[in-house]
Amino acid sequence: MTLEPSVSVSASPIVEVKNVSKWFGPLMALNGISLDINPGITGLVGPNGAGKTTLLRLLTGQSKPSIGGIRICENNAWSAKAKSHVGFCPYGDAAWDEMPGRKAVRVSAGLHGFKGDEARHRTETVLDIVGMADRAHRPIRTYSKGMRQRIKLGQALIHDPDLLVLDEPLNGIDPVGRDELNELFIRLAQDGKAVLISSHILNEMDQLADHIIFVCRGKLLASGSLETIRDLLDDYPLKVRVSCETPRRVASLLMELDSVKSVRIETSDDLFLEVQNPNRFYGEFAEFVLSKNVDIRGLKATDTSAEPIFDYLMERSSKPG
Amino acid sequence: MATSLAWFSIWPIARTAMLLVFRRKLFWLLFAVAMLSFIFTFGAIYLLATLKQELPQMARFITSMLKDLDGSGTTYLNFMKLQGTVMMILLAFAGSVLAGNDHSRGGFMFYMSRRISLVYYALGKLLAIGLLVLLITTIPALVLFFEYGLLGDMAEYFRENFQIVFGIIGYGLLLSLSIGLLLLALVSWMPRPVPLVILWGGLFVFLPILSSVLAETLRDSEVNLEESSWRLLDLWNNLYIVGSKFFGVELPLFYGAIIVIFTVCLFSITAIFFRLRYLQHQS
Repeated sequence: MTLEPSVSVSASPIVEVKNVSKWFGPLMALNGISLDINPGITGLVGPNGAGKTTLLRLLTGQSKPSIGGIRICENNAWSAKAKSHVGFCPYGDAAWDEMPGRKAVRVSAGLHGFKGDEARHRTETVLDIVGMADRAHRPIRTYSKGMRQRIKLGQALIHDPDLLVLDEPLNGIDPVGRDELNELFIRLAQDGKAVLISSHILNEMDQLADHIIFVCRGKLLASGSLETIRDLLDDYPLKVRVSCETPRRVASLLMELDSVKSVRIETSDDLFLEVQNPNRFYGEFAEFVLSKNVDIRGLKATDTSAEPIFDYLMERSSKPG
Repeated sequence: MATSLAWFSIWPIARTAMLLVFRRKLFWLLFAVAMLSFIFTFGAIYLLATLKQELPQMARFITSMLKDLDGSGTTYLNFMKLQGTVMMILLAFAGSVLAGNDHSRGGFMFYMSRRISLVYYALGKLLAIGLLVLLITTIPALVLFFEYGLLGDMAEYFRENFQIVFGIIGYGLLLSLSIGLLLLALVSWMPRPVPLVILWGGLFVFLPILSSVLAETLRDSEVNLEESSWRLLDLWNNLYIVGSKFFGVELPLFYGAIIVIFTVCLFSITAIFFRLRYLQHQS
């Protein structure tokens, strides 16, 4: 990023959330959440209604926690100073369909107090970063979902924030656009920014995030690196589809593996396995393929959507001990 | 480097709202209608000025017929009232674009995540509405005032009637503030265009009719129709009554009209504040 940074990055975490709870009347949207967010990509994962949006609103200073505190670069999250460190890319479009993309980004510059040449320079720089410089003259209504997302990203980046908060940025984006956006997020993280991406699809975060935060029903279920999360999911019963040429033979051989609970032949090419310990299974499966000399065309986990994993984690967290 | 004062964010908010309105064809259609009456008045003043030089008696005759074109404060007061009718229609349709869509499509969240507070947001929206009101009522009235002076005995007209400028600006600001607050309050609670148009129509069409009917049927025979308290139900008329004072004309029910307008403004501010606070904390 070639913009003059609006702030200096300190050594402490960019975001510090301490014991935060949030009530809406009788509804407890967040319950005693504590976490830190550092530079890099952090995935905030949870099913719909988990409290992700509430947490994002608190982080972006749109509302205050009922209990606890949130500090952004050592400032209270709802202070104007903290907001100058945060770039927010909301889920919805801001109803500016008739406005050209360039103007929409320019408005964001104005809202952060940039004027004249400075605003123009920042606008062109971020349009370049998000890859929209050549298409920014067109009205937003003519954009694809991915292009709209890029413009929103440009609006969020205009003041060169340390923390970039993205609410479901990959929702409804086609695979090509998704890859392009992912590359952009990685680039921004490499520039030293903390990029917080919310999603209800765990797979989206798998190759993107350095750190995952799981929330469900307002509680923090798990937080850590992907490895940490995988360790937590050791006993998670995973369903896997195996594509091969000789399913009957492969099925009988796979039943010998300790991690495989059941095998079902679905079509002439596909087997469905239920495995008990995904980490161990993948290791055993690699050895199995090499040693048994079987022709495997594909291997895919079929139920890695967030909901069953959350249910599993919820169940696990509610167990005593 | 960015300025540290969030006051500067008011203008981008207002400008964005106005840009969105300016990009609607309906706005330009209604603006053209508003300009028709302006062009007609402009032409009539020009014609009268020409007649005054060529045929003074004819000019005097026409001026006696068209009292609204005599260059007094009433000329501009009535012109602004006429423009206000179109302005009301325009605001009914533009209200959703000016602010309503922010609540239904995430714009409010966008603004609130920036370095601005509810107050700056509300002030930005009020400024947008106010500028639209000024654009249709006050600026054309000022143009007419200067046209009248420049085409006639310039020095004498401006010297004798300079207070009219303050009257035009005062009435314009009154309209901007009160209509702006009311519209923003309604839009905050009712962002969708159709219910908004219906409610707006109810306030500025149904209530005036109701007030006329009630004033007519329930009035005391000794009280002038214009002095009936039922007339206070007509908000637009109240604005006219208070606005007249800026031009040195005191109409009946002046204090009643002030109380009604003040109450409406106070109610609107409260409604805006509570609604925006609610939206800000809504999950």
